[in-house]
Amino acid sequence: MGYYRTGIIVAIVLAVLTAFEFWLAHVNPGVTFLMLIAAAKAILVIWFFMHVKRLWSAEEEH
Amino acid sequence: MAAVSTPLSKPAHADTSYAAVTSAEAGHETYAERLRLNRMGMWLFFISEAFLFGALLATRFYLWGADSRPELDQNIGLIVTTVLLLSSISMYTAEVAARHGQWKVFSIGAWITMIFGAIFFFGVVIFEWGLFPQLYKGHLTPWENHYGAVVFAMTGMHALHVVSGIVLIFIMWRLQRKGRFTAERTWGIEAAAIYWHYVDVVWIFFYPALYLIGHVAGH
Repeated sequence: MGYYRTGIIVAIVLAVLTAFEFWLAHVNPGVTFLMLIAAAKAILVIWFFMHVKRLWSAEEEH
Repeated sequence: MAAVSTPLSKPAHADTSYAAVTSAEAGHETYAERLRLNRMGMWLFFISEAFLFGALLATRFYLWGADSRPELDQNIGLIVTTVLLLSSISMYTAEVAARHGQWKVFSIGAWITMIFGAIFFFGVVIFEWGLFPQLYKGHLTPWENHYGAVVFAMTGMHALHVVSGIVLIFIMWRLQRKGRFTAERTWGIEAAAIYWHYVDVVWIFFYPALYLIGHVAGH
């Protein structure tokens, strides 16, 4: 289960951010904050799920 | 590294030592280096795709402005977004499982991802496009006005990537069943996974742009 812990934590944060943007859109549907939240979610996915760090990290196998 | 073909200027029968040297030189390219190049190529592809999706996003803001949007079903938007988020988690699980040789978990994760992807696709096709009016009557058409045109262009291009992602994951699942991957060498699975997550990243921006930003036009 330890292998998947990071993914689970990131997923929970993404879910919270999605719920927050859904709520925010009904309070203030302005572009700035909603796009900032989207950018934060995208960074999380790119960093943790897409492993962008592997581009410059030395790795022998995988 | 597999054998490298001999250049035209050096026929193989004439100079086997040259071919041997070429192969040896090519042999210096380790799996890790090749993997690095594969990843770089994949990310360059993502950057090129970002121009396409960025253009669609720019079109949305150019034609609709920052304070207007069509009336779309908020519940459907939230549901398909949640489904895509869940599919990212299952794909992450599948990839991590593959890297640890847990092939049963990989298979389950891959299939859950494909099913969620299909649910997302049919959610868009049925509820946003209204292609099956007997199930749900859509209220937008691509030719009606600039709202319909943009919604169909953005969701259409994204749905095309969802379908290609499902196909890619299925191919990787099949290859794994044939024993083409080991826990140490899972590039194909990694590529399919990061492609799927890229599709998710695109939707992360499309979802607020289509469903949340601005007030409903005409209200």
